[in-house]
Amino acid sequence: MATTPVTARVWGMYGARSRNVAVTLVLAGLFTIGVFARGVPTGASTGFDLSAAPAVPIPSFAVPSALTALLCGIACVALGGLQALRRTERHAYGILALGLAIFGFAFLTWAGQSRSVNFIDILSTSLIETVPLSLGAFSGVLCERSGVINIAIEGQFLVAAFTSAVIASATQDPWLGLVAGAVSGALVGALLALLTITYAADQIIVGVVIDAFALGLTSFFDLSVLVPNQATLNSPPVFRPIAIPLLDKIPIVGPVLFDETIFVYLTAGVLIALQIGLFRTRWGLRVRAVGEHPRAADTVGINVTRIRYLNVIVGGAVAGIGGAAFTVGGTGQFTPNMTAGLGYIALAAMIFGRWQPLGALAAAFLFGFTDALQFALSVLNVPIPSDFLTMLPYLATIVAVAGLVGQVRPPAADGQPYARE
Amino acid sequence: MKRLMRMSALLLAVGLVAAACAKPSSSSSSGSGSSASKASNFLACEVTDTGGIDDRSFNASAWKGLQDAQKATGMKIQYLQSNSQSDYVPNIQAFEQKHCGIIVTVGFLMGGVTEKQAKANPKQKFAIVDYSYKKPLPNVLSLLYKTDQDAFLGGYLAAAMSKTGKVGTFGGMNIPTVTIYMDGFAAGVRYYNQQNHAHVQVLGWDPDKKQGSFTNDFTNQAKGKSVTQSLMSQGADIIFPVAGSVGLGAAAAVQEHDRSGSGNPVYMEWVDTDGCISAPQYCNLFITSVTKGIATSVKQAAVKAANGTFKGGNYFGTLANGGVSLSPFHHFADKIPSSVKSALNRIKQGIIDGKISTDPTKYPAG
Repeated sequence: MATTPVTARVWGMYGARSRNVAVTLVLAGLFTIGVFARGVPTGASTGFDLSAAPAVPIPSFAVPSALTALLCGIACVALGGLQALRRTERHAYGILALGLAIFGFAFLTWAGQSRSVNFIDILSTSLIETVPLSLGAFSGVLCERSGVINIAIEGQFLVAAFTSAVIASATQDPWLGLVAGAVSGALVGALLALLTITYAADQIIVGVVIDAFALGLTSFFDLSVLVPNQATLNSPPVFRPIAIPLLDKIPIVGPVLFDETIFVYLTAGVLIALQIGLFRTRWGLRVRAVGEHPRAADTVGINVTRIRYLNVIVGGAVAGIGGAAFTVGGTGQFTPNMTAGLGYIALAAMIFGRWQPLGALAAAFLFGFTDALQFALSVLNVPIPSDFLTMLPYLATIVAVAGLVGQVRPPAADGQPYARE
Repeated sequence: MKRLMRMSALLLAVGLVAAACAKPSSSSSSGSGSSASKASNFLACEVTDTGGIDDRSFNASAWKGLQDAQKATGMKIQYLQSNSQSDYVPNIQAFEQKHCGIIVTVGFLMGGVTEKQAKANPKQKFAIVDYSYKKPLPNVLSLLYKTDQDAFLGGYLAAAMSKTGKVGTFGGMNIPTVTIYMDGFAAGVRYYNQQNHAHVQVLGWDPDKKQGSFTNDFTNQAKGKSVTQSLMSQGADIIFPVAGSVGLGAAAAVQEHDRSGSGNPVYMEWVDTDGCISAPQYCNLFITSVTKGIATSVKQAAVKAANGTFKGGNYFGTLANGGVSLSPFHHFADKIPSSVKSALNRIKQGIIDGKISTDPTKYPAG
């Protein structure tokens, strides 16, 4: 091993991951130098606004566009070169994240030339979609780790959005709306559990049927019940942001993360509970055993059916909270098909996040962020066709999944019903 | 296995019942009066776009038109909702088999399929909202609206009311029936700048490059909220969403912004229908609404089809015939300076007389 030639070391001896990261960064850097640095007129500068509100005195700063883009490009290439020469894959993703952040900064510098870009607003806009997406993805993690595929996230979203809007309107209390959303999500989860665990129906088909069922049902009740009673049944109060004392004063992070509605804090809570619960507790070990090898789990006395029921129902409740975020957490009023397929994207985020809660959150955030970025860029009137900008979130997801995540492995017994012999 | 079968059958049955309930909701005629005797056998049908019958926008307006026609003549009315674009053809075919006297198809996106069905079935009368054909078909009446005219007034008003010197707009999709509003809006702002030596900017739509901010969605309110936050972040203080129920997300974002009390107050202009009627909870945010009279024209089309005076071709709603108009100012009636109101009246007359162009490229940008 000591005689490994240098070229082999660079081109793959230290693994495909190292090579991919290096190539990605060098290409991104060259692109930055070639397009972003050369694409701005000399003397143009880009402003970066870091204040959440004009009242908060955090200085905004301006940088010379061309020079900044050039330096960012060089930094990207250098990072790529560094990774190529390193003899280890450790922290390769950290280097990649750093390089992509620099690339993103260069991109914003180019896009915001002669204008001002507000970072804080882009970040807090990202959370609008990140919250329901990550809750949906957590629901997926809960179900699939125990071996049940949950395609019904979209349906759970819709049903929960509907019930939370109705209950919150009727009682004028957003908290009851939130609870109603979770409960109705859990009920849809129970239906999924009954059909897939007890009756061993095909999990994918049942999930799709539940989604179609939820769309038809909520659209029907919206029209027949909500529309005639708009004022009493579909005008829910929405949650106001809750500022956490002290923490909300932290520059940049504070206004984005600690001056938000209860849903952001709930998402964080579920994330921590899941991450610890799945990997640090007895329950988590059992869940993973059931998802990987139910027969073995059964042999050592774990009740497979009970674990699966519990997870699918709790997962439904988590997705239900995500559904409530659409109405009482965001825009209030329920409108038919308002979830617009985000449940399926949540499912993709879970896969992209490798069935890990933290990974799922990162994937959901990537999607939410690129979507927010897309809107910010279209408002800045950058010279990119708007159709292409709209592709950005999906493109980022495809690049990330296909190029960087590599092969992912679902729980071995995912999607397979279990029957005792 | 037996239990599985029973369960599946049950679920299927429930699903079928729900589907049956969700789709055709027919309103039985209340045929009052003797003049309705002939009309009461007449069936007028609507195929909605994916926005659904209750989008508080054009689908709802078209349905309102049929309801008005029902009240006036006692005809029967029915609609089918399209949950995706692939529902268009089956929905139209279902209505053809029901022998609808007229099928109203709603929206630009249904232009192609309506043409195909109309050619295949030349005796079937159609009215299509928002789509014109290069060669008009004898059995299709295109209901078209010069919404750039009232959007021009909306743009002028927005420019006059903006404190930050920036106004924002976004569309549901980059298609002509949406961008005609945005073009008119931008033209109105540019006209304001020219007349008043001002420099009000339009964010979210560049009429010269035909590029701008689009949600590519007419149902996802979260996207409306996101894009509106982006517009406000760049300083826009009047937002004009052209995206059906996605606009409700914009209203939520504006309301949140105004409640937080940071920065300038932001207001909106609603689209298609009078916002104070279709989304009354946000009425205090709406300076005005840029409306098009879909209901009136759909009603006329249905009534004409019922009494045998239907003719294919194009109908144009304009400021002159009241087919498009700026809604009342409601909460802002006292806040809009009378000089601006009289300017709006003058411009309206100018557009009707053809003296003022609504083409944004005719005015200097910026």
